[in-house]
Amino acid sequence: MNTATECLLRLVEEHHELEDYQGGVPRWCTGCGDNAILAAVQRLCRDENLRPEKTVFVSGIGCSSRFPHYMRTYGFHGIHGRALPLAEGVKMSRPDLQVFVNTGDGDCCSIGAAHWIHALRYNMNMTLMLHDNQVYGLTKMQASPTSPKGTKTNTSPRGSYLDALNPLTVTLGVQNVSFVAQVVDWIPEVLFDVVRAAFHHKGFSFIRIIQRCPEWLPRMFEPVLHDTNRVLLLHHADGLQLSESLTRTYRKQLEHDPSDIHRAREIASGSDPIPVGILYRNPEVPCYEETRHAGQLTTPAHVRAALETELDKYTVWPQQA
Amino acid sequence: MMLQAEKPVVTLKEHIVEIISDSGEGAQRCGQSLGSIAARMGNGIWTVEIIPAEIRPPARSVAGASGNRIRIGAGRITNGGDETDLVVAFNEQVLLGRVRDRELKPGCTILLENMWRSHKDPTVAASYKEAYDRLVAAGYKVHEVPMEKECLALVNDARRGKNMFALGMLCSIYSLDLALAREQIAITFGKKERSVIDANIRLLDAGHAWAEAHLDFKYRIPATRSTVPQIVVNGNTALALGVLASGMEICAMYPITPATSASHYLSDVFEKVGGIVHQAEDEIAACAFAIGASYAGKCAVTITSGPGYSLKQEGIGLAVMCEIPLVVINVQRGGPSTGQPTKAEQGDLLSAMFGSHGDAPKVVMAASTIEDCFYSVVTARKIAETFNMVVVVLTDAGLATSQQPFPRPQFSESWLAPPIDQTPVPEGTKPYDWDPATGLARRIVPGQPNGMHTITGLAHDRLSHVAYDPDANQEGLRMRSLKLATLQKSLKAPPVVGGDSGDLLVIGWGSTQGAIEESVATLRAEGLNVSSMHLRFLQPLPPGIKDAMQRFKTVMTIESNWGDSPQDEIIDENNRRYSALAMLLRARYLVDVDCWTEVRGQPIKPGSICRVIREKLKPGAKPVTKKLKAAKS
Amino acid sequence: MNAELQTQIAFRLAGRKPAAGADDGGAGLRPALLARYRDLTALRYDFPLVLARGAPDKDYAQCLSGIVDDAVHRVAGDDGGERATRHLLRLEREIRVLLAGGARGTLTALWDDAAARLAGGDASLQDSLSRARKALKADGVLADCDESLPALLLKHAWGVVRERKTRRLGEDLRRLTIGLSNILQADAARSEAGRSAEGLKASIGAGHAEVFDFAAMSRLLGRSASRDGLPAGRRRRIESLLEVLQSQRFAPVPDEPQSQDRCYAFTFGSCAEALAAYRERLPKAVELARSIAVAELEVKGEYREAAHDALFADFGEGGLGQEALAGLPDYLICMPANALHGAETDRLMELLSAGLPVKVLVQTDDLLEESSIARDGHFALGTRAKQLASMAMGLNDVYVLQSSSSNLFQFRDRILAGMSYPGPALFSVYSGASGDGGGLSPYLLAAAAMESRAFPAYSYDPSAGPNWASRFDLEANTQVEADWPSQEFWYEDENHQRVRSAPAFTFVDFVACDARHARHYARVPRADWNDRMVPLDEHLRRSAAGAGEAVPYVMLVDAGNALQRAIVDEPLVRAALRCRESWHSLQELGGIHNSHAERLLAREAKARAEQPQRAVAPSASPAPAAEAAAPEVVAEEKKSADAPYIETPRCTSCNECTQINDKMFAYNENKQAYVADPDAGTYAQLVEAAESCQVSIIHPGKPRNPDEPGVAELMERAAAFA
Repeated sequence: MNTATECLLRLVEEHHELEDYQGGVPRWCTGCGDNAILAAVQRLCRDENLRPEKTVFVSGIGCSSRFPHYMRTYGFHGIHGRALPLAEGVKMSRPDLQVFVNTGDGDCCSIGAAHWIHALRYNMNMTLMLHDNQVYGLTKMQASPTSPKGTKTNTSPRGSYLDALNPLTVTLGVQNVSFVAQVVDWIPEVLFDVVRAAFHHKGFSFIRIIQRCPEWLPRMFEPVLHDTNRVLLLHHADGLQLSESLTRTYRKQLEHDPSDIHRAREIASGSDPIPVGILYRNPEVPCYEETRHAGQLTTPAHVRAALETELDKYTVWPQQA
Repeated sequence: MMLQAEKPVVTLKEHIVEIISDSGEGAQRCGQSLGSIAARMGNGIWTVEIIPAEIRPPARSVAGASGNRIRIGAGRITNGGDETDLVVAFNEQVLLGRVRDRELKPGCTILLENMWRSHKDPTVAASYKEAYDRLVAAGYKVHEVPMEKECLALVNDARRGKNMFALGMLCSIYSLDLALAREQIAITFGKKERSVIDANIRLLDAGHAWAEAHLDFKYRIPATRSTVPQIVVNGNTALALGVLASGMEICAMYPITPATSASHYLSDVFEKVGGIVHQAEDEIAACAFAIGASYAGKCAVTITSGPGYSLKQEGIGLAVMCEIPLVVINVQRGGPSTGQPTKAEQGDLLSAMFGSHGDAPKVVMAASTIEDCFYSVVTARKIAETFNMVVVVLTDAGLATSQQPFPRPQFSESWLAPPIDQTPVPEGTKPYDWDPATGLARRIVPGQPNGMHTITGLAHDRLSHVAYDPDANQEGLRMRSLKLATLQKSLKAPPVVGGDSGDLLVIGWGSTQGAIEESVATLRAEGLNVSSMHLRFLQPLPPGIKDAMQRFKTVMTIESNWGDSPQDEIIDENNRRYSALAMLLRARYLVDVDCWTEVRGQPIKPGSICRVIREKLKPGAKPVTKKLKAAKS
Repeated sequence: MNAELQTQIAFRLAGRKPAAGADDGGAGLRPALLARYRDLTALRYDFPLVLARGAPDKDYAQCLSGIVDDAVHRVAGDDGGERATRHLLRLEREIRVLLAGGARGTLTALWDDAAARLAGGDASLQDSLSRARKALKADGVLADCDESLPALLLKHAWGVVRERKTRRLGEDLRRLTIGLSNILQADAARSEAGRSAEGLKASIGAGHAEVFDFAAMSRLLGRSASRDGLPAGRRRRIESLLEVLQSQRFAPVPDEPQSQDRCYAFTFGSCAEALAAYRERLPKAVELARSIAVAELEVKGEYREAAHDALFADFGEGGLGQEALAGLPDYLICMPANALHGAETDRLMELLSAGLPVKVLVQTDDLLEESSIARDGHFALGTRAKQLASMAMGLNDVYVLQSSSSNLFQFRDRILAGMSYPGPALFSVYSGASGDGGGLSPYLLAAAAMESRAFPAYSYDPSAGPNWASRFDLEANTQVEADWPSQEFWYEDENHQRVRSAPAFTFVDFVACDARHARHYARVPRADWNDRMVPLDEHLRRSAAGAGEAVPYVMLVDAGNALQRAIVDEPLVRAALRCRESWHSLQELGGIHNSHAERLLAREAKARAEQPQRAVAPSASPAPAAEAAAPEVVAEEKKSADAPYIETPRCTSCNECTQINDKMFAYNENKQAYVADPDAGTYAQLVEAAESCQVSIIHPGKPRNPDEPGVAELMERAAAFA
């Protein structure tokens, strides 16, 4: 709706600069992909003119999870693996808040895996960014569930033993999944577009962000980084539209309709070239917080009424002698 | 044999009645109705559910007893009491189970369904005769009752009718008001159609008539009609009502016995007031969900039992570290590990206080009565939000399933959590602006302009910035600890029941209050100089405990958690593990506190307590701990 | 020319009655088409209506027959409902009889009466009736097609919309009231009083009153209490908002019964009353609308005095807050057309043109009243109402609906649309309820008026689109393309032969329904028929010239249902012409025989006829097939190879370059790097940055200072990034 009043109100709205969303100075390593994610998110906050006090970033433990400290919004830097249930609690008690979750491959796919699966089922309206650098960084290089088989780490000096878990196929296999995307931190334009799309999606938006760790896996991404043909850009009228400069740099492109989950699952299972873009989106999936908030407003009068009704059920009234 | 209508009516001070059957035969309902009728007549009552461990144990099995135990008294009844005086059993096997558990008073009266005697299956008939003879031989007064036969005269499925027939008998035996009983039935079956109610009333009358005609005894327990409305609920329902009355709006839980029934009930009523019971994917998530909800809005609650509590510990630590108000209810069951899911124990006191790693000061309260279950939640919410602390409320399986009337609460809107504050905070307000003396700081909630900050489980300073310098960590720990002291300073000394000084002070906490105080009264009547004190706050401990202890020659705790017995050959001063509270009191007050504990999964009986204390105060009873006394002098 | 013809012409021109034959004029005659309809109770048609309560909005009005059919469908037994059908049709007819007998009330009430009257031994009948009664989905007042229908139906429709509006409004008010009081309560909780000993005691249940030393607690809490309370200005604002929201009289608030009684009435019998009420309430309405808007901001914590005070100062003026006002109930005016004399008409036009939230029903009961001015039997034909409607359409933003009451059920959706329309709406309805219908029911009169184009049905919905084509709808009229609709009917001639005829149903046929105008007709005995007599519609179709000698007639039937020719006098013919003309202009508005369009078409046809041979050129040259491959030409201007630059859009904000030299490299507004000042550092730094950039988007270009040490070697390294 665009009424006179609304227009006027919009005119006098406060506007924020990117700096307004900058919190502490990032302690991430130079060259760390987290910086790109931070820049994209701060840009989103500015472009969407989010109110800092109405925005909450929730995280678990790990490099990624320092994220909230670098935003000048509300933030909850929680405990290892539990970012999602914390965020769900926030959203359930405060649907008016914009909730973002920043988590890592260890935090989300290993110690927090149970919560990850169920968060998809709840489909609460929030955006999850999985900073997937395929290694435990903060604890100094151990294999993570997404480390490619054979990755040499301190806990797998002769190379990790298991095939990597694919967060996309897992996610796309869960009932109620409503938004799944994958990006790489070194294509900032797509990163931003996807984060924005996720933000606008009503429901639980899952973004896997493949992210470089210059400290522990400096060579891991070099090949893909320098061979633009190892990235497959997904685009669609209802998905991403690619800029000309982008299509020039990344010649491998695929038109994919985000409403097609079967195709999405096929695409998700491929890793070379890396599919980048929106794999799946279904705005129809109901949000748990809306399902649960029956619309009944809590007022002292209601509580009193309900309590008295309940007490009546169990009351033994004195006998009129 | 047919009796003359006139039979002597014996007046009793109290009596303990049990109705037991295979599960699904309605003994529960019979017992609850009996309790309500007695309560409405003005008797004090305490009812305890008798629950088999399995959902559907095989019929006629010794371990399968399901039913209800009602202690009816002339005055107020505060606990389940000792052994049963009179039992109605629908088959002999469940009865044997109760005998085995030593729940029946030697020589007590038994009303036993006799259909089995002539059962077509010879083994059944045989086992019945065998059991019957054993009981009679053991001196029980066994009356065989043709319940099945009598009921079939009125309904075609006796399984559905026996319980009301039994209720009728009991009304006759205890001279209860039959009109009141009929009303009660109308209430119990209120949702069903009239025909059902009438059928049950006919059964009631039949049972009454039968007892009048065939039983040669009749009792009366004088009642004093209460002048105030009372409510009769079990502890878990009281907890749920407390959550409702506290104004909390989110309860996150994961199914676990014996806590879950509180959430069942809450789920049913909560949404009417915009509240939500969230069944999370696991205990950890339930705790985190509640913490997230509390952080962003009104204080939330998570309800669990021992094993779940252990899982929540890390989350609780986070709430402590971030100073997020949170109410955690632990309906204790037997431990360790899976332990005894349906049985009562007080084994989680220490893990409640010291559970999570590092120094994580939190408030620990224990509910000591059904009424207390209700008020504890209201108090817990208030303390949590006033001090920005985690408040743990301990109850146990005993309270969870017991019923005791208490005055209907007078709801006040000031019990409710205040609305979420969304007003701007002054520029530059620190998220942890600790008052150096009390450790208290204003709480800032998301949505408040100028208040933006990131809370963290990492050590942090007043700006909630990660603390890299040692002083900040030191200060944080100090401030979080001071809050407990501050709460302690706003508590009153708990009253001493009995004499103000004397030979023995018994200290207890939680569900044992009724049994302990009843015993103290009994023993004082016997001339023993014993008093008791009961603690609601375990952390912080209220003032005045040490003074009280010093006015008595000896002090002991009575608890339902493990404590080594000095009688054991290998146990001595250097290796004796004291029960939880005893250990705390000894550590804090440097007083030689003895303890007696019992962990049989059943509420401690007043009888046992009296026995123990008589023993302890017997002239010439050797003091437990000479060495420490010596050290003190 | 023979005598008969002369008298006929004389009658036509001068209205002088022929001495013999047609002496009784048109008395007792009625349009042949209506011959069939004597007793309507036997007929299944749109009426009576059930003004449903609690039904979905779109079903606010349902017709009895529909409900009965539905009931049949529900209770249909194994015989496929054939018996049920029989029974229920009897009931339906019985209900019609009751209504015709003046009975009124709800469907269920009349249903029961009718059922009682049918009660005979027939058990199966009673059975299907009672089962159907149970299956009844809708109930509500029954409204037959009579004088009261238009007001009843429109009030009901208006009520539905009002209900919808006030529910929404009431819920908003409740939500905002709670939100605002929460702000005050939250403040109170932090206040002195909140942490006073008494306050603390009150917040702890009686069961624990003895556990705490509240005085001590209060003291301790005081130490860390925040001193900042709600600013006085904001508190005052919130309090006054609450005052307004809680005392408003426009909508009831959920679970506040007393707010119901407080509410204003919004239905009026005249523009004068409505206007007065509107003027009196306007300030209140504006205040409420403003308060709602401000409250929304307050509750969200978004109200900033600096920006908003000024904005809301002139709220309610200059379109500001109109949409908020539109949320309030509309004013409904139901008035008879003949109340529209000077002043009242002006007020009405003022109401409409000012775009006030009014819905107006102008009801015409008598279309054939004699004009008060012209004594020559000039027909007024409810012109007032009709002109009003067309004037209203002229205002462009008024929803206009004109219809005979016989057609109202067909227009039920449009009526609801008009009531929901966010602006004024005018409903002009002809009820056919008065005048001298000679036993014809209002329904038939109304229907006749519509058929004969005397009172065409149409709607004009400004919200339907930008132009007349989308806004104006004439389709409801039968044979909308034609001047007059012609209905085929059969009659028996003197030789008892069945004869088919399809005469047009003209204005003159309609007028024939009203005995007051009998004098304009003269029955001509078959003996006097002659070839100069032409059916009226044909006569009108002929050009005025040559029509002079013709004698127009219409086919009527007498009381005995015998077919008659009645010739018509000139004033009536003229009236018929005028009626047809106004129909034509409506047609043009509706895009039928639109003169402009036809002229245009003619011109194009002619043009095409002139060069028939030239083939039609293809509309567009075939578009080149879209290709995935990117175009060869690069849009952006090529960077010179000499100047250093960064492909900024590809920068991942990783801090590598900025850490090498944050003067030389800087971040733009999206936190992506660019070369801020190539001279702020050495060429070596440029090359180093290029090498350390993981996405290799830094291009060092040529050295600025050729004397820089090791430049040659640097240039070699830089070559990789050219």
